[in-house]
Amino acid sequence: MFGYVRPFRGELKCKDLELYRATYCGLCRTLRRRCGIMAPMILNYDFTFLALLTAPEKGEQVTCRHRCHVLPVRRCMCQQSPALEQAADASVILTHWQLKDKIRDDKGFARVKARCVKLLLSRAYVRATRRLPEFDRVVAGQLEQLHQLEQERCPSLDRPADTFAKLLMAAAPAVEDAGHRRATEQLLYHLGRWIYLIDARDDLEEDRKSGNYNPIALRWDGEILDEELQNTLNHSIALMRSAADLLNFGRQTELIENVLRFGLPAVQRAVFAGQWKQVQKQKIWRTKYE
Amino acid sequence: MNDPYRVLGVDPSASDEEIKRAYRDLARKYHPDNYQNNPLADLAEEKMKAVNEAYDAIQKQRQGGGTSGRSYSTSYSSSGNSDPSFARIRSAISRGDLQQADQLLRQISDHGAEWHFLSGAVAYRRGWLDEAKQHYRMACQMDPGNMEYRQALAAMEQSGGYSGYGTSSGLADCCATYLCLRCLCPCDGGFFC
Repeated sequence: MFGYVRPFRGELKCKDLELYRATYCGLCRTLRRRCGIMAPMILNYDFTFLALLTAPEKGEQVTCRHRCHVLPVRRCMCQQSPALEQAADASVILTHWQLKDKIRDDKGFARVKARCVKLLLSRAYVRATRRLPEFDRVVAGQLEQLHQLEQERCPSLDRPADTFAKLLMAAAPAVEDAGHRRATEQLLYHLGRWIYLIDARDDLEEDRKSGNYNPIALRWDGEILDEELQNTLNHSIALMRSAADLLNFGRQTELIENVLRFGLPAVQRAVFAGQWKQVQKQKIWRTKYE
Repeated sequence: MNDPYRVLGVDPSASDEEIKRAYRDLARKYHPDNYQNNPLADLAEEKMKAVNEAYDAIQKQRQGGGTSGRSYSTSYSSSGNSDPSFARIRSAISRGDLQQADQLLRQISDHGAEWHFLSGAVAYRRGWLDEAKQHYRMACQMDPGNMEYRQALAAMEQSGGYSGYGTSSGLADCCATYLCLRCLCPCDGGFFC
């Protein structure tokens, strides 16, 4: 995915920053064990958030100090939990299918590169599918559907976003309680919708030049109504927040609220102002951004 | 039944004032106004009920059956409709059976205001917010006098109007909008509440 889902540093409490960092480093470590040197390619903030969402509300979470793989001098607190294992598997599966799409669509060097990465990931992918066969099936189906919509050059915002939203919805672990499940599904659905649309808005200029498919360019031909688009994105955030209020996330509650209430709107503002490329490079724990 | 103190998230030794504050915060969070047109409205209502019951139980315990000071209620009614096929679609939507509602809508060739309104409602339930808005807008253009359609469109233009928890300015805004909508709407409550 793309790293759009991140907390807002200015409103983050120290304990929440620590929790976030331990989750991020824990995900890095889990991925390292699964796919070796390819781990940094897959690691991102979006799946860290997924791990936070799906972590159990109660119970001990194991946090240990380990050497950082990127900078071995540093030692980081790394969390270990089944939620992280699942998020790692889900990100491997999604990356695999995205690479497959790339191989189909791209040409030249990009295609060769995607082929190599896919080959290096193949073992990790096979193992991940053994643990999450259902998610693998859904991802394959939804990305195929998205590909078809792209071929048809579908002018709707919602239809292509729906495929990605349903994909993310499938990443939630199965829970017994129907109310809990519905609220989680609504949260993840609108998170997926938001990610898809914000990514489309971010790529808009590029796609217009190259003539690639972009639902926003087709929905409003000529002048894009940023206000309308922002309105529908804000609506998705509102539905995410209302769903999150109905769920109990235990000690992750405040961090999740920070992401939904400040993080997503800040990223949205940066994307609409055309400053996202600079913001994206910043590590959350080093710099602040508006 | 759950421990009422746990439902409100307070310590059993908390003062009356603290309990009242916790209750108010929760009631504001789960208030039906925050969940108008939200597919999770029923869950919020359940939470609200639990919070109300917990508060009542604590009041009873502490005052020996005294009066409760709660002021939030959750009653909403749905408006009836004349056309039988549209009535079937409406009941399918409120059951949550979107596939059937979609099928029934496809069978209707006359795309009038109500058709657009109900298509918008189906799209909204799916999370297709942009299409929902387009449908609601069409419905309002075709039948500008209908308060139900206008209310739905206004809610979309407000981005759901969810102020959430703890934002005072947003909350005031939400209440103001709600009051304005109430003035517009002659019946009590909309259809999908």
